[in-house]
Amino acid sequence: MGAFYCSICRKTDFSGKGHIYGKSHQSKLKVILVKFMEKVKEAKRTIKNPQVEKYSPDHDEKFWCYCCALEVQKHVTDSNISVLYGGLLEHMSTPEHRTNTHKFWWDNKADPKLRDKFIITEEETERFKSEVSKALEQFEEKEDVFIKQQAAVIRSQEQLRLEVLQSLSEPDPDLVHPAEVDQHSSQHTASSHSHSYEMEPQPGPSHEDFASHSQWNEPGFNLTFIGYQDSSSSGNVHTGAVPPWLLEEPDEAPGSGRQEMGPSLQGFLKHKEQEKLKKLPANRVGANFDHSSHTDANWLPSFGRVWNSGRRWQSRHQFREEETKSRGKRKWEGDGKATKKPKDLSNGEL
Amino acid sequence: MSLFLPKLSCKKDIDDAIKSVAEKVLVLRFGRDEDSVCLQLDEILSKTAHDLSNMASIYLVDVDTVPVYTRYFDISFIPSTVFFFNGQHMKVDYGSPDHTKFVGSFKTKQDFMDLIEVIYRGAMRGKLIVQSPIDPRNIPKYDLLYHDI
Repeated sequence: MGAFYCSICRKTDFSGKGHIYGKSHQSKLKVILVKFMEKVKEAKRTIKNPQVEKYSPDHDEKFWCYCCALEVQKHVTDSNISVLYGGLLEHMSTPEHRTNTHKFWWDNKADPKLRDKFIITEEETERFKSEVSKALEQFEEKEDVFIKQQAAVIRSQEQLRLEVLQSLSEPDPDLVHPAEVDQHSSQHTASSHSHSYEMEPQPGPSHEDFASHSQWNEPGFNLTFIGYQDSSSSGNVHTGAVPPWLLEEPDEAPGSGRQEMGPSLQGFLKHKEQEKLKKLPANRVGANFDHSSHTDANWLPSFGRVWNSGRRWQSRHQFREEETKSRGKRKWEGDGKATKKPKDLSNGEL
Repeated sequence: MSLFLPKLSCKKDIDDAIKSVAEKVLVLRFGRDEDSVCLQLDEILSKTAHDLSNMASIYLVDVDTVPVYTRYFDISFIPSTVFFFNGQHMKVDYGSPDHTKFVGSFKTKQDFMDLIEVIYRGAMRGKLIVQSPIDPRNIPKYDLLYHDI
């Protein structure tokens, strides 16, 4: 057979005809058929009940038909409405697809029972087409009804607006009646004499102002009245008086006197020192040395000795040891200098 | 001259000085006031003390009064000057065998001031041992006693 490309395994195969009977090929084939089957099932469900919908961008989706090795439109659409799965069903009913499906089954040695599911017979297509035409008619009817409803709503709104304009353009004697009509139309329930009071001094304003005026007057009568505030003795915001929160409190405790705020002088000076310290480099010698820590009488500083190797504090340790030993020896001997033990003779600690 | 420099006469005073001097080099001169070399050194110290007041604090200690420290710092020759910074002992390589202290007097005031400055800068950068700027010919020579050899 030579080299041939197996589109299911997506591999070039040199083993000849035997490849098709192999395990991997068959398993891949099964997976593919299962996936394909899902799509076809969905489509077949709509044969009896075709769905017609308004166009949306995902109705341009395509699907890959394994048998024909083609990309086919899934749904049928004409940019306004689309029939779901129409494309798929149409493709599957074509005679070319039928031959291709048979070939596919023969070549890949797939399960013959499944083959018929991937073909759509002529009866099914006839049925589908009649159902589709019915569905289309229904859809169009629905659309019409909806459009008419919309139109009615728009018309009524137009009417209302016209009426409002007309009522405002009428002269004085007719004001009371159009005002009432106006109220009705704007859905407020307030007394009408306020309206007439407002509108008389303004015989020829623009229509928009009138409309806004008439609406703003009414809310004032829904609020609670708490009395006239007499501030002639102390003054208020408008006269420029001193605000209450800046006035001196008369009811302070008599013994408190002047309370000072802020840190004491000591605290302030300390703070200044600390600020200076912060500016010093953080890795300087003894940066973390606590100068105020209390130590006992036999504290010794950290002194690096001459002949020491090792850490500096060891020199202190060693010194203390020597002190105790030399004291012990002095007690025993009682005269002369105490001999010191030899120190480490390695080079000085650097 | 040594009248102008403060003196420390007991261990507690020395401890307080070491612990309390902050962010400045602490100079402790160990010696005797009557000794000739000590007098020379004391004069240099007192004359430069004011100029170095921001970098160093200088104190005089009589070796006879604090035997503990005399032994601890291993002071065999006087005058010996020991340097501290923030409670930490600073070693200086003078080219002499002992890095822990300066033995003898300085030739000029400038030598001492240079030394203090080098110690201060080294301490600020976290160095526990620094290299002396003094010309080795001006450093007094002495033999270090080797115990029990």
